[in-house]
Amino acid sequence: MSNDTKNVSRRDFVKGAATGLVAGAFAGMGMYSYSPWAYERLPKTERKMHDFGTCRSVRVTNISETSWFNNAHLIGDIHEAGGLLVNQYTLNWAPFANGKGSAQGSYDDGISSIKDLLPHDIEKAWEIQKKLALHPENPGGYSCLIEVEELDGTMHKYLLDTGWSYKWMNDCFKREGIDQMLRDQEIEALFISHEHWDHFWGLPVTMKYDNRIPLYVHDGFYDEGLQYIKDSGYKGELTIANKPVTPIIPGMALLKFDVPIINRVFGETSLAFNIKDKGLVLISGCCHQGILKFADFAYANLKYDNDKFYGIYGGLHISPFEDWDPKYDDLVISLGQWGFERIGCNHCTGHLTAKKFIESGYPVVRGTARFRSASKDYLGNGDKITFGC
Amino acid sequence: MDTSSFSYLESRKLVKRWSGPIPALINTFLILAFFYLTWWIFQDPRGLMRMYTPYVGYMVCRWMLIIFIWLAYIFDFWPFKRTWLNKTHPLIKGAVLTIVSVAAMILLIKGFFVEILGNFGIAYFNPDRLIAMGITDFYSIEYAAEAIMMFAAIASWLSPSWVVACENAPWQKIGQPARGITIVLVTFFFSMVVYFVTMHSHMAILFYPWQKFTAICPPYWEQFANTVSGNFHIAWIMCCTVVVWQFETIWERYPFNLIKHDTLRRVASFFGIIIIALALCFFLFYAQDLVWGQTIRGTRRLMAPDWRWLHVGEMAIFWLVPTLYLNFYCGNWPTKFSRPVNVCIRTIVTALLAVVVYVIYYKTSHLFLGTQKGFSHPQQFPMIPMIWLINIFLMNVWFMDGWPGWKAVPKTEEELAEVHEEIVASDVKWTPGIAKGLVIGLLVGLALYTAVIYLLPWIGANFTIIK
Repeated sequence: MSNDTKNVSRRDFVKGAATGLVAGAFAGMGMYSYSPWAYERLPKTERKMHDFGTCRSVRVTNISETSWFNNAHLIGDIHEAGGLLVNQYTLNWAPFANGKGSAQGSYDDGISSIKDLLPHDIEKAWEIQKKLALHPENPGGYSCLIEVEELDGTMHKYLLDTGWSYKWMNDCFKREGIDQMLRDQEIEALFISHEHWDHFWGLPVTMKYDNRIPLYVHDGFYDEGLQYIKDSGYKGELTIANKPVTPIIPGMALLKFDVPIINRVFGETSLAFNIKDKGLVLISGCCHQGILKFADFAYANLKYDNDKFYGIYGGLHISPFEDWDPKYDDLVISLGQWGFERIGCNHCTGHLTAKKFIESGYPVVRGTARFRSASKDYLGNGDKITFGC
Repeated sequence: MDTSSFSYLESRKLVKRWSGPIPALINTFLILAFFYLTWWIFQDPRGLMRMYTPYVGYMVCRWMLIIFIWLAYIFDFWPFKRTWLNKTHPLIKGAVLTIVSVAAMILLIKGFFVEILGNFGIAYFNPDRLIAMGITDFYSIEYAAEAIMMFAAIASWLSPSWVVACENAPWQKIGQPARGITIVLVTFFFSMVVYFVTMHSHMAILFYPWQKFTAICPPYWEQFANTVSGNFHIAWIMCCTVVVWQFETIWERYPFNLIKHDTLRRVASFFGIIIIALALCFFLFYAQDLVWGQTIRGTRRLMAPDWRWLHVGEMAIFWLVPTLYLNFYCGNWPTKFSRPVNVCIRTIVTALLAVVVYVIYYKTSHLFLGTQKGFSHPQQFPMIPMIWLINIFLMNVWFMDGWPGWKAVPKTEEELAEVHEEIVASDVKWTPGIAKGLVIGLLVGLALYTAVIYLLPWIGANFTIIK
C-alpha cells in the first residue's frame, strides 16, 4: 500500500472517528439517560436516622396567620417597585419607610425615624412609620405559639416568628396572652423562620415584653436583618443556625434549609417534632423549601416513631398571592402519598390550595375564620391544633 | 457574480480590523460593557426600568431574539436595501435595525397578542382580561407575559429551523418580502400548533378548575415527565433552539449536509435537530438527578421535576453562549482540520466552556445582576441574562458587521460560489476508512458518555458551586 493511500485511509479513519465520537455521545444521551435502567443505578437514600428524642404532644396556637390584608395592595407595591427580586428593605413598607415612594426606601432611613422608640414605645414608632409607608394599613403578620409536652409531662413554650405590624401583632399577642407569657419569661425561645417582612419585622413587639428571649435565625440573614435585631433592643443570646439539624429539647429540632426566596431573602428554618407513638410533625413559617422537601429531608436525616409522617402545621407556601401554577398541582396530586394524618395549614398556603386539598380528600383541619382570617378552609387566627394526646 | 441571489449575511465577509486577538478582546469588552449598561437600564431589579419581574423581561428578551432572527435570517433585512446595508456605518445600522426590531416587537406583543388574541381569542394573553377575572394586576401581567414569551420560545426554534434545516424550501427562489412573509406566516402557524399542544394546557391550569372552564386536554405528558408543568416542553424546545444554532454554526450543518437529495437532506436536518435536542434534553435532566438526587414530585425548586425540566433549557442556553462566541468572535476555531474533526473539537470545547460559564454564572451573578444566589429561585431565570447577551452578540454581528473589531467586505466570486457549493458537502465520502473510524468513534463516544455519568455523582458529592 502506498503512503498516499495510507494517509488517505488514516484521514478517513479520523474523520469517521470524530463523527462517531460526537454521534456516540449523543446516542448514549438519548438512549440511556431517561431510561428505567439509568434510574436503577441511582443510589437509594442513605438514612442517617438521627435520634433527636421523643415528646408526648405539640399544641400550636395560631397567633396570626394574616400577614397582610389586601393582596392587591401588597403585590401591587412589589410590582411597582420592580417585581419579586427587589430588595424588601427598599419597598418602602413600614417599619423601614422614608416617605420617598416606591422602591426608594432604605433600612437606614426607616430605622433612624423610630430607633429611639424601640422597643419600649412601639405604638408611637408604628404611628410614625404609618405616615411614611406605602399602604400602612395592610401589614398584619405571622406568628404562632408552640407548646411542647415532654414525656415526663414538662411543658415548654416557644414562639415561631413575630409578625410584621407592631400594632396588629401587639393586639394579637394580647388576645392570646402572649404578652404576659413573655413578661413572665414562660416562652423559652423565639425562632425566626426567615427574614421576610411578615415574619420578622414585628420583632420589637416581642422585644417589648422580653428582650432577652433566646433567639434563633438562619445564617442567610442579611446585614440589615442582623442590625435590626440589635436596633430592636435585643439583649439576649442570638443563635445563628448554621447546621442542618439543631436539637432543641428531646423530640424537637430546628432544621435549616438554604433556599433563595423572593425579595432578596435567603434561607428558612423550620421545626420538626417526634411525637411518641404517632410520628413526625413538621411546623413551618412559610416553608419556602417546599413541604415535601421538608419531609424528604426529615426522612433522610431523622429517626421518628413509627417511621411515619404524622402532621403538618404552618404556611406551606403554595399560592401566597392566590396565584397559581401547574407545579402547585403536582403537590396537590402527590401529597396524599406521604400519608400525613393531620394537615393544619394557613397563611401562604393560599385559600385555593386549601380548597384543592379538601377536594382531594386530605385531612385538612378546618378553622373558625375569626379575627380577620378569611376562610374556614384552614386554621385561622386564634385557632389551635394539637398533635399527640 | 450577482449578489442579489445571496442573503446579505452570505454576501459579506467579516474581516478583522487588527491582527491577532485584539478584535475579539475589544468586541468582548464592549459587548460586556453594553450588556451591563443595558441590563441596568432595562432588566436589573435595582436599575431603571426593572423589567426582570421576571416574566416581562423574559418576554422582551425572547421576542427581541425572534425579531432579530426574522429580520436578518428570514426577511434578509427587508425593507432595507442592500446598498444601504453595504454603505451605512455599522453604528447607525445597528441603531436603526435595533430600533425597528423593538418597534416590531412592541407592535406584535401589544397589537397582536394582547389586543387581538387576548381580546377576541384567549383571555390569558391580555392582562386586562385577567384583572377583570379577579387576578391581581401583577400576576395578570406576569401570566400574559409568560404566555406571550412561550410563543416566542417555540418560534425561536421553528423559524431558524426553516432557514437552517429546510433551506427556505419551497420558497427559496422567490424574492423579498414574499419569501419572508411566507416563511414567517408558516413558522408562526406551526409555532401556534406547537404552542397549543405544549403550552396551552400549562397556561390554562392557572385557572381553577382547569379542565372545566378552559376546555383543555389534561397534560398528556404527566406520567412521562412526572409533572403537569409545561416546563417539560420548555426543556426540549430550548434544546431544539440551541441545537439549531449549533448545527448552523459550529457544526457547519454537518453531517446532514452530506445528503445530496434536497428533500431528504432538509427533512433529515429538521428532524435530526429534534432528535439530537431530545437526546441532549434527557441527558441534562439525568445529569441533574445524578448530581442532586432524584426528584420529588410536588416539592418546590431544586428537587422538583418541573424545575429540573426548566433547568434543562437553562443549561442548554449556557451552551449556546460559547457556541455563538466561538463562531462569531473566534473565527469558528478550529478550522485547520477536516470538517468532522473541527466539528468534534468545537463541540467538546464549547461544552466545556458552557460548564465554565455555568459555574461562573452561579458563583458570581448575584454579585452584579441584582439577582440572588441559589440555583432554583422561583423568580429567577438565567435564560434572561444569557439571551440578553446573545441578543447583543446578534446585534453586533448581524446588524453591525462585528464593529469595531471587524468590518464587512463583499465576498469574491469564488467565495460566493463556495456558498452555493457548501449546501452539499463533498469533503467527506463513504470509504472503508470512514466506516472503521465511525465504529470506533461511536464506541469512544459511548465510553465518554459513560465516563461522564459515572463522574457526575462524584462531582455532586465533592464540589459545591454555591456556598
